[in-house]
Amino acid sequence: MRWAVDVRNLNVWYGLKHVLKNVSLRIPRNMVFAIMGPSGCGKSTLLRAMNRLLELNPLAKVEGEVWINGVNIYSDEVDPMDARRLAGMVFQVPNPFPHLSIYENVALGPKLNGIVRSKKELDELVEWALRKAYLWDEVKDELKKPAARLSGGQQQRLCIARTLALKPKIILMDEPTANLDPVAASKIEELMLELKEDYTVVIVTHNPQQAARVSDYVAFLYMGEVIEVGETSNVFTTPKHELTEKYVVGKMG
Amino acid sequence: MIARKVKNKIMIGLIGLLAIVSAAPLFAIIASIYVNGARIISPRFLVDFPPPPLGGSDGGIGPALVGTLILMALSILIGGGLGLFTGIFLSEYGHHILSHYTRLSLQIMVEFPTVIIGLFAYAVLVLPLRSFNAFAGAFALAIVIIPYVALQVREAYASIPYSLKEAAYSLGVSPFVVNLRILLSVARRGVATALLVGLARAAGETAPLLFTILGTTLSYFEGLDKPIGAVPLLIYNFALSPYERWHEVAWGAAAVLLTIILALFIVTRSLVKEVKL
Repeated sequence: MRWAVDVRNLNVWYGLKHVLKNVSLRIPRNMVFAIMGPSGCGKSTLLRAMNRLLELNPLAKVEGEVWINGVNIYSDEVDPMDARRLAGMVFQVPNPFPHLSIYENVALGPKLNGIVRSKKELDELVEWALRKAYLWDEVKDELKKPAARLSGGQQQRLCIARTLALKPKIILMDEPTANLDPVAASKIEELMLELKEDYTVVIVTHNPQQAARVSDYVAFLYMGEVIEVGETSNVFTTPKHELTEKYVVGKMG
Repeated sequence: MIARKVKNKIMIGLIGLLAIVSAAPLFAIIASIYVNGARIISPRFLVDFPPPPLGGSDGGIGPALVGTLILMALSILIGGGLGLFTGIFLSEYGHHILSHYTRLSLQIMVEFPTVIIGLFAYAVLVLPLRSFNAFAGAFALAIVIIPYVALQVREAYASIPYSLKEAAYSLGVSPFVVNLRILLSVARRGVATALLVGLARAAGETAPLLFTILGTTLSYFEGLDKPIGAVPLLIYNFALSPYERWHEVAWGAAAVLLTIILALFIVTRSLVKEVKL
């Protein structure tokens, strides 16, 4: 239980392609942990292995263990649905449900999972999640408005609120700022630092500067292998591996 | 320079002409049916029994209309329901081998001559019961509907962006909940159109009913195990008859049938708003 996430000897194949090779990682609690690396290195795959969203891809085959909060989510007793509630996810493209209102986007998960007992409890949960995601003040008067009308940055914060409303233990973020303008992106980064008070945040980024700005620990992934893991300040100032050094100084994609 | 512009004009004119030629039958059919059918249609026409061939009042298509409505409801309940779930299965487990063969079978079924489906229903539901019956008709229509609905629902689900499917699954709910409580409303317009096409076919198909329901026009609904009337069958029978009066009833019935189908189309289109992605 010391670790929020404990990945042990994880191997993932897409068909015959071996995309994650013997990955082992330990992620401490209440930290922002960044997984960085060039595109195609397996970062997103690793993130999706942490809540079994990977299984939506019929070609994906997983071997190894991922312990979230002391539970091996790949053991036979664990349902993929439980794994996904333990580890909420925020995606690269803001993806609120376009046919639902702002309120409903946040309320849907708790409703479908039977987390709340009354309308009042649901209202409180929605407000709490929207406040937590720094969105409440901007939308409190237009909760019935379709989510699709929000700006990109607001939509992404709405997605964060949607994730928080399910009360996950960890929050997985797959390049959450890749499709946002710099102002909106910096808001999300601030939010991450706020969220680590209560959660463990795992963020995937292809941008080493972002990893340096927001993370406490960082892993550098290259061609499906973990090249280096450590405290962010150490990895950036004194990288132990040549590849890491190349990457952090921007000499590699 | 001028030659190029002239050529352009001629081509645009040609394409416009072709568009008009291919859309013309639609308007010609609608016009001819309403022109010929209008004279006999009145509120009474919708509820009265058909007239005797000679003499008497104008009559109506009451039993056949009720029969068609019952057949539509039953067949969309069976065929629409099955088609919907099959379509969702095909989209959710698209890579499964079973899904592959199901899809292949449905694509063959779409091409089936409907008269064969009618014969099949005759063999399995009319012969054993020794009576033409409403259920056999609904059964045959349901078989006609299933492949249309299933394949179109699959298309509707396939058009949902993958990122939304991921978002739905990341809420930690079962595939059943994901597909029926979240994605169904994202794909609602496509699904509604699929069901509408099914319903319109159920209303208009004639061949599957030939060997199954007998097409009584002389009594209202008497039970699912008894013969029942249907508007397309009435049109077929009356139009082939030698009686002038029945021809008029057939035209009127055609106008009613066309109205049902157009109304279904317009109502669904205007009520079900598209989800802007």
